Amino acid sequence: MLSVLIWVPIIAALIIGFWPSNSIPPNRVRLVALTISGLILLWNLFILFKFDLNTPGMQFQEYLPWNETLGLSYQLGVDGLSILMLVLNSLLTWIAIYSSSQNTERPRLFYSMILLVSGGVAGAFLAENLLLFFLFYELELIPFYLLISIWGGEKRAYAGIKFLIYTAVSGALILATFLGMVWLTGSTSFAIDAVSTQTLSAGLQLLLLSGIILGFGIKIPLVPFHTWLPDAYVEASAPIAILLGGVLAKLGTYGLLRFGMGMFPNAWSTVAPTLAIWGAISAIYGAVVAIAQKDIKRMVAYSSIGHMGYVLLASAASTSLALVGAVSQMFSHGIILAILFHLVGVVEAKVGTRELDKLNGLMSPIRGIPLISALLVLSGMASAGIPGLTGFIAEFIVFQGSFSAFPLSTILCVVASGLTAVYFVILLNRTCFGRLDNLAYYPKVLWSEKMPALILAALIIFLGVQPTWLVRWSETTTTAMVAAITPAEKTVISQVALK
Amino acid sequence: MDFANLASQLNAGTILPEGIIIVTLLGVLIIDLILGRTSARWIGYPAIAGLLAAIVALYYQWDAVNPISFTGGFTGDDLSIVFRGIIALSAIVTILMSIRYIEQSGTALAEFIAILLTATLGGMFLSGASELVMIFISLETLSISSYLLTGYTKRDPRSNEAALKYLLIGAASTAVFLYGVSLLYGLSGGQTELSAIADGIITANVSQSLGLVISLVFIIAGIGFKISAAPFHQWTPDVYEGAPTPVIAFLSVGSKTAGFALAIRLLTTVFPMVADEWRFVFTALAILSMILGNVVALAQTSMKRMLAYSSIAQAGFVMIGLIAGTEAGYASMVFYLLVYLFMNLCGFTCVILFSLRTGTDQITEYSGLYQKDPLLTLALSLSLLSLGGIPPLAGFFGKIYLFWAGWQAGLYGLVLLGLVTSVVSIYYYIRVVKMMVVKEPQEMSDVVKNYPEVRWDLPGLRPLQVGLVVSLVATTIAGILSNPLFTLANNSISHTQILQATITKVSTVPLEEPEKL
Repeated sequence: MLSVLIWVPIIAALIIGFWPSNSIPPNRVRLVALTISGLILLWNLFILFKFDLNTPGMQFQEYLPWNETLGLSYQLGVDGLSILMLVLNSLLTWIAIYSSSQNTERPRLFYSMILLVSGGVAGAFLAENLLLFFLFYELELIPFYLLISIWGGEKRAYAGIKFLIYTAVSGALILATFLGMVWLTGSTSFAIDAVSTQTLSAGLQLLLLSGIILGFGIKIPLVPFHTWLPDAYVEASAPIAILLGGVLAKLGTYGLLRFGMGMFPNAWSTVAPTLAIWGAISAIYGAVVAIAQKDIKRMVAYSSIGHMGYVLLASAASTSLALVGAVSQMFSHGIILAILFHLVGVVEAKVGTRELDKLNGLMSPIRGIPLISALLVLSGMASAGIPGLTGFIAEFIVFQGSFSAFPLSTILCVVASGLTAVYFVILLNRTCFGRLDNLAYYPKVLWSEKMPALILAALIIFLGVQPTWLVRWSETTTTAMVAAITPAEKTVISQVALK
Repeated sequence: MDFANLASQLNAGTILPEGIIIVTLLGVLIIDLILGRTSARWIGYPAIAGLLAAIVALYYQWDAVNPISFTGGFTGDDLSIVFRGIIALSAIVTILMSIRYIEQSGTALAEFIAILLTATLGGMFLSGASELVMIFISLETLSISSYLLTGYTKRDPRSNEAALKYLLIGAASTAVFLYGVSLLYGLSGGQTELSAIADGIITANVSQSLGLVISLVFIIAGIGFKISAAPFHQWTPDVYEGAPTPVIAFLSVGSKTAGFALAIRLLTTVFPMVADEWRFVFTALAILSMILGNVVALAQTSMKRMLAYSSIAQAGFVMIGLIAGTEAGYASMVFYLLVYLFMNLCGFTCVILFSLRTGTDQITEYSGLYQKDPLLTLALSLSLLSLGGIPPLAGFFGKIYLFWAGWQAGLYGLVLLGLVTSVVSIYYYIRVVKMMVVKEPQEMSDVVKNYPEVRWDLPGLRPLQVGLVVSLVATTIAGILSNPLFTLANNSISHTQILQATITKVSTVPLEEPEKL
């Protein structure tokens, strides 16, 4: 059942890539890719509705022995932590393919790479084996490198290589940690449930956990390791930026939750205060740097750093509520970033610039692009945390859940959230409002170009008004995860008290 | 000694695979003498058939009851069988790629194949040799044929220079090796058989003497030369650049495999009492090779030179398994050498194909190739990415197994260095992929603009294509369907007696490691 999510896109990618005839029109390739990703999305929704909300553990498990010498088995499963991410992945893949241009150059390579990435990311979210996870994690490296450096902006070669190196380093760190976890605990298999780090000494646990945090921190990205992000996001074309920000960043936070908190509950509570501060710094940094940007895409890219800071804060707090908030924030950030990048892509395509100083008056009803501007206002508000939209719900749960644990960091994050509103107001003010140049004459925005944004906007509003649909999936799982941490936390506290 | 007893001690059946190759070799030579150049059209195929027959014969010798033959001079155990198989396979692919290359260079193909088969023979005998004289003779057979092959295109001054350089360094390093071997003979009280030497050294009570250490170092110098470990690597880049490309393909896989086979057999049998010392030396060699190979490869402009440094680095990775010295360590070496065969030969086949069509092998000249030759682009990209260890290709699984075995043995530093240098290696491998795939049509190099129409029906191109496709498929799926290969590698180690004796001693150490920490 779950294998479909991995293998259908990968096989489709191979077929599209190797289809012998060279003369297929780009349009048809796009249509095929769109159909396949649509079917995967439907299948994913089917799984979502089959998902049993009251089971905390893995569901729909699949197991095949693969390579016993390495301790590698093909072991899949989905729980509350990953189900929403899977849906996000297939939704954004579909959106990315939909919003890609009708006449992309070298369409077969393009769509086959996107589908390959989609299958790989699904595999990483589903893997219940550390090595299998790593395999899928590294699988997206080369396709994304090619996606950035073939169909990117002007500095795409630089951005692509930078992305490649950062991600490869992150992979090396993660692999080293995984090897360490498995061998030091004396386990013979890389299966997640076979590895128990509890027997290790505190120092060693801390060392391994920091490997995890650094490895995934590059991907999330946390502040000192984020420098690949603005380049990669800005130089990538709009559909690729959607996938990069919407899906890949989630892989980082998911890894942090699953392998950091899930596997090192003791050490996690030791580093949690640092992580909370770190998350707050990330959030403030992202917001402040975004204010200084002159390029709207760069602004959105930095907003992504800020929003991932909230996820870090919530994971550090690790109360039941905060974790629900973290998962919701991951999902809603995914769709909000996707709509923002899509709209920015449309603006760039129609107006021909991304500079804040040159854009003006797009809201103008006749000569401007009013609907796109309106959606831009809506998604900017969603990103800034205005009630009624999904961004608010997620952030509110995060803050509510984290305040009891780390009040200072939470307050800093609230401040950052305020700063987010500042730069989005700047952005909207400079682009949508004001007066249109007399020379401006923009091409018409087609309905097909508006469609993805409309769908995402509807989703953003729906989840904002009806947040149960956002949080219900992860509640049971996160409660179970917190239950695994709490006893350990108590012992730490009681030890401190005794001293 | 009666005849039946002698025959059982000779046990000549163990060298049947080599016997088949000798017959093929002579057949090729005689046919060339009788028919002359006209035989060049088809002479490659009987040679390949002979090599395949040798592999089949190897298959039937798997798990032989009595592997020791020639009164201890040759051991046909599973370890030697797997290494002999790798060498024979690399010779097959080398012949497939050389048919066109050698013909285009205007030299005789049959002679080339004869020398190549001699080198194969030397390498195969080296894998099973368990007696000092036998080791030296097979090593020399391999080396002398390699010198001849390196200088085979004798009108090309670069090929001449490479041959001279290879000859001088090679002869010197074999002399050093010989000196180490002669010391062993003296130290052990006149024993030449490997297992007898170990006993002799213990009886003579010189197991910690300076003499033993000196002979160890001299022998390592000889081995290090064959596997091109830094700092014995200096010949590699120059020879790789100058020699005919099929020859390098063979040197990088066949000759290197023979070197590793020799290393395992010699070091574990003769030097168990100084195991810590040789592990230490090889750790140094591995660190140097990984760093130097990967870092210097970044700055190369010629494809063949880049692959030369890459092969130095890959030798560094393989040495992790040797240093680990556990069952998994040796098995990971065997597995990596197996997948290295596919990756490297696939890569070299592409390099040959490109230089056959355009006459150059500069990396920048590859730019924009995807439009003109998609198959070549795909194969070269996949083989290079596999060399870089990108999942789910074969090289990824090979590297994972090496690192895993290294980590199990407690070689944390080496594994971490291996990981870091792998990241470095991804950079220079991807540079070529970038040239071929990422570049826009208008950035196409002149050579690619004038790229001849892709045709496979020219003489000698069909076998090249077969070799390319087979090694490409193997590179792609040998990782995903790696279970049979893993079983093969593990069995070859666990069924080999000489290793089992040393492994049990070593593997107790890492097991205690977690408790200490």
